[in-house]
Amino acid sequence: MLSEADKRVLMNREFQKLVRVRRWISASFMLLLLGLYLLFSLLSAYAPQVLARPLLNGGTVPVGIALGYAILALIFILTLVYVWLANNVFEPLEKSVRRSVREGQER
Amino acid sequence: MNVNAIVMFFLFVSITLVITVWASKRTRTRSDFYAAGRSIGGLQNGLAIAGDFMSAATFLGVTALVYSTGMDAMLFIIGGTMGWSVILLLIAERLRNLGKYTFSDVVAFRLERNPVRTMSAIGSLAVAIPYLLAQMVGAGALIQVLFGLPYSFAVILVGVLMTLYVTFGGMLATTWIQTIKAVLLLTGGTIIGFGVMLLMHFNFGELVTAAVHTHAKGSAIMAPGVMFDDFITIISVALAFVFGTAGLPHVLMRFFTVPDARQARRSVAHAIGFIGYFQCLIFIIGLGAVVYVSKNPEFMNADGSLLGGANMSAVHLSKVIGGDFFLGFISAVAFATILAVVSGLTLSAATAVSHDLYANVLRRGASDRNTELRISRITTFLIGLSTMALAILLEGENVAVLALIALAIAASVNFPVMFLSMYWSRFTTRGALAGGYAGLATSLLLVILGPTVWVEMLGFEKPVFPYLYPTLFAMLANLAFAFWFSVTDKSHRAFAEIESFDNQWIQSEIGPVEEAP
Repeated sequence: MLSEADKRVLMNREFQKLVRVRRWISASFMLLLLGLYLLFSLLSAYAPQVLARPLLNGGTVPVGIALGYAILALIFILTLVYVWLANNVFEPLEKSVRRSVREGQER
Repeated sequence: MNVNAIVMFFLFVSITLVITVWASKRTRTRSDFYAAGRSIGGLQNGLAIAGDFMSAATFLGVTALVYSTGMDAMLFIIGGTMGWSVILLLIAERLRNLGKYTFSDVVAFRLERNPVRTMSAIGSLAVAIPYLLAQMVGAGALIQVLFGLPYSFAVILVGVLMTLYVTFGGMLATTWIQTIKAVLLLTGGTIIGFGVMLLMHFNFGELVTAAVHTHAKGSAIMAPGVMFDDFITIISVALAFVFGTAGLPHVLMRFFTVPDARQARRSVAHAIGFIGYFQCLIFIIGLGAVVYVSKNPEFMNADGSLLGGANMSAVHLSKVIGGDFFLGFISAVAFATILAVVSGLTLSAATAVSHDLYANVLRRGASDRNTELRISRITTFLIGLSTMALAILLEGENVAVLALIALAIAASVNFPVMFLSMYWSRFTTRGALAGGYAGLATSLLLVILGPTVWVEMLGFEKPVFPYLYPTLFAMLANLAFAFWFSVTDKSHRAFAEIESFDNQWIQSEIGPVEEAP
């Protein structure tokens, strides 16, 4: 059975916003990273010559190495963005939902 | 005899023993023993988590992969880092919000306690014990080469120290040891990487050119395909890293050593920073080893192979960069790395027995604190003793299969079960059990029928299962069974479990309401 308090949380606008935004952020970041990794895997298996080609004309660093480092850099950036969002958007919402649950209990 | 290495190693061991004595005085309750009293901050925990991941296998093994295969190692480097994004984006905060000491707590949050806990404890042990054994065998061989100590002596030294750390110091000692080692390893890796770049005038292109010119395979190392060329193998490796990392019990346990979800998130964020940085270095170190080690007669056997095998490439390179003193430092750090990682694994295996099996399954959550801790310590002692014995028996065997099994099970048993219990409201006990055991059975079966066991160990001509890694199939088996046996579950128990999902969902999103200030 769902308790009255839980029902109130599910109806809470801020809770709904928290769930919606966080789900969207997590899912899109995750899909972006997994997609790039899948791309790297597919190229490794089916088009190795693409990854072996030099990134710049006349350069020596191949596309595969550059793509690998680029994915690592993207992981760094997405981590920073997620932490910033968590501290500045998700946490205030969580706090506010928890406060309203506690106030509901006192009443 | 490598005197520098031995002196520095004894220094490290003395410091860790002092830490263990200090930690033992502060380890009284279960929360102290399993979770360091939840007293660890995000930065330190991030270092400790990074330390768990930066094992001898990552530092020496992945460097060796770069050294011998070049670009194929990028697959490991990307996957090994991306696994942490999965933990950050999907797992860490919820794990901390729902659990107490182990990921089994999360799976058992709304599902039936005894059967699912038994299964996730088996999952934890099936990852921790083979992994531990692989590390011990590797440690014995490595220490033999590095320090000139006999194999069995090295194994016993590692086994005794890890048993002491865990039995007396619990998670607090294990965390500090891991933290110190992580700092040492990051320092050592930075010096090697910086040294290589200095010799290459900080020009990455020059390093690549030099590596291609020196390597026996020439420009083939700057293309994929030296090691992997079929998609099934590649995707299995990718899945094992991306999702297996989030199923490693000794890593997941670290998220309970911090006070709340916020610090859990900070822990992973810091860990990603350290791990990503280290992975960047490893590629440079591997290419550096190609340039400065692979043609250097000082590091060659008479037949032209590398002294101590490819795993030693990073260690040899340290001698080129910093001479005998730095070689000693890196050898001591490699030894410290093994010690710190096996301690974490031992603690997680002991916790699966004492917290999951004894306290929750056998005593139904009503165990006495002192008995539970005694059981945990006895288990630690028995694990130490048996892995020492097994590691001595396995001297010279190919233990890669053990690490293979561990990561496959982490990705195809622990991760999917934990993920589905967090996110899928229709997930039921029946589905969890069917999925978890299907993943376990598929992993084991395919490893046995695969090239490593069927051909290399049992001597058959052709493997029944042609691929080295079972992860793709085992994960699919878990998900298919979990899906089918959950949606067709019409029992009363299933109905109640589905109904209590919302309650769990709320707690996983906002944390426990009472605790928060």
